Amino acid sequence: MSILDINKRNNEKQLRKTIWAYLILSVVAVVVDKVYGIFGHGVHSAAMTWMFLYPLLGGALFYFIIQRLIKHITKFAGYRVFLNIHNSGIATLTLASLIKGIFEIAGTNSPYLVYFYMTGGVFIAVGLIIMLIMALNQNRVHV
Amino acid sequence: MKKFISKPYRWAAIYSILLTVAFSFTMLDTFVLPKSIANATTVSIASKSASTASSSSTSTSFSTKSSSQSQAIVTDSSYEDENIKITIETVRKYDSNIYVADIQVYDPSYLKTAFANNTYGRNITATTSDMAEDNSAIFAINGDYYGFRDGGYVVRNGVEYRDAARSGDNDALVIDKDGNLSVVKEGEVSLNLLSDKGVWQVLSFGPGLVVDGEIAVTSFSEVGKSMSSNPRTAIGQISELHYIVIVSDGRTSESSGLSLLQLAEEFKERGCTVAYNLDGGGSSTMYFNGKVINKPTSGKSIGERKVSDIVYIGY
Repeated sequence: MSILDINKRNNEKQLRKTIWAYLILSVVAVVVDKVYGIFGHGVHSAAMTWMFLYPLLGGALFYFIIQRLIKHITKFAGYRVFLNIHNSGIATLTLASLIKGIFEIAGTNSPYLVYFYMTGGVFIAVGLIIMLIMALNQNRVHV
Repeated sequence: MKKFISKPYRWAAIYSILLTVAFSFTMLDTFVLPKSIANATTVSIASKSASTASSSSTSTSFSTKSSSQSQAIVTDSSYEDENIKITIETVRKYDSNIYVADIQVYDPSYLKTAFANNTYGRNITATTSDMAEDNSAIFAINGDYYGFRDGGYVVRNGVEYRDAARSGDNDALVIDKDGNLSVVKEGEVSLNLLSDKGVWQVLSFGPGLVVDGEIAVTSFSEVGKSMSSNPRTAIGQISELHYIVIVSDGRTSESSGLSLLQLAEEFKERGCTVAYNLDGGGSSTMYFNGKVINKPTSGKSIGERKVSDIVYIGY
């Protein structure tokens, strides 16, 4: 089975659901920052304040662009693989930002933090490659 | 494999578990799991030569109550013997309780530092009062909580434990063999250079409050990104072997705490030519003659926080 096989299921609905899920997650990230700030004795962290950008830009906006420009990729069997990998990347980067924020507020650090960013980055890169392959094979959708 | 991760929610569930485990491990490793790196080594000032900590080179010294200490005149707020004179004043200012210790010692060897459990490492902690009692300290304050970070020079009682400078513009407190305090930029001065100059203690928190007789912080200066008043611990020097230590309570309705500028002004008013901010917040503790003088709090309940190290006066 190739990622370019045509899937009989219609994933367009899934795309809309994903955009909404990411919008909700962005709000959750903002709320987490605000709640954590209450217990931070006035100490703030840019990493935690801006962590909502990962689900907002890397998630909601990213899938909105897919919906508008390359909707055909949802018809490929590889779309689910791409979705899983990209979502994992966004989740990992958002968590990395949260951890960085916790460390900055506490005034400490960890050698393991970099692995979260690396893992997130690798997932995003692999996801984008799969997406690119599917996007460039639009003609197969109509076969 | 592709088929496996193509299943809706299966991959999400598995990866969520993996992320939770990774998050939990990172948090435990950073905040909880103790990691012993070296036992504390005691070197006398007179015999100090270039020495570096290692886990195998350990010698222990046992503090004994000297004859001077047993003949000391002690009150609730003062201590005086032939070598050490300490006076503690409690001041109400800036809507805060401020504890000011004026300390004079006859010899620099009476200004000391100690690690929790006599061990250098990460997440190895004890309360300031427990460490003070373990070392028969007359007076003690919390140190820089070096074990909460991986960076920042650590030199204690003549032994180098960590030579990694923190990234960015960070001040370190240097105490030389003559007991003189100075503030250096970690990024500009290597620990080797400091060692060559005969450094005896290096604490890494900061910032420097008073440097060369001038206030070195502004109303915008803060530890990390905090702009609020906080409990504080800081040490300064007026003249040779004459020190001022200030601890303030904070984060309570009774005592709001000091800004770094207010803290610096207190040292300057008392004639300090150099002063340095140590770990504050819930760590801020002043111990004197067997008692904790201030009211340490992290903002919830009153109680001492366990920290990595102390600065103390004792034999």
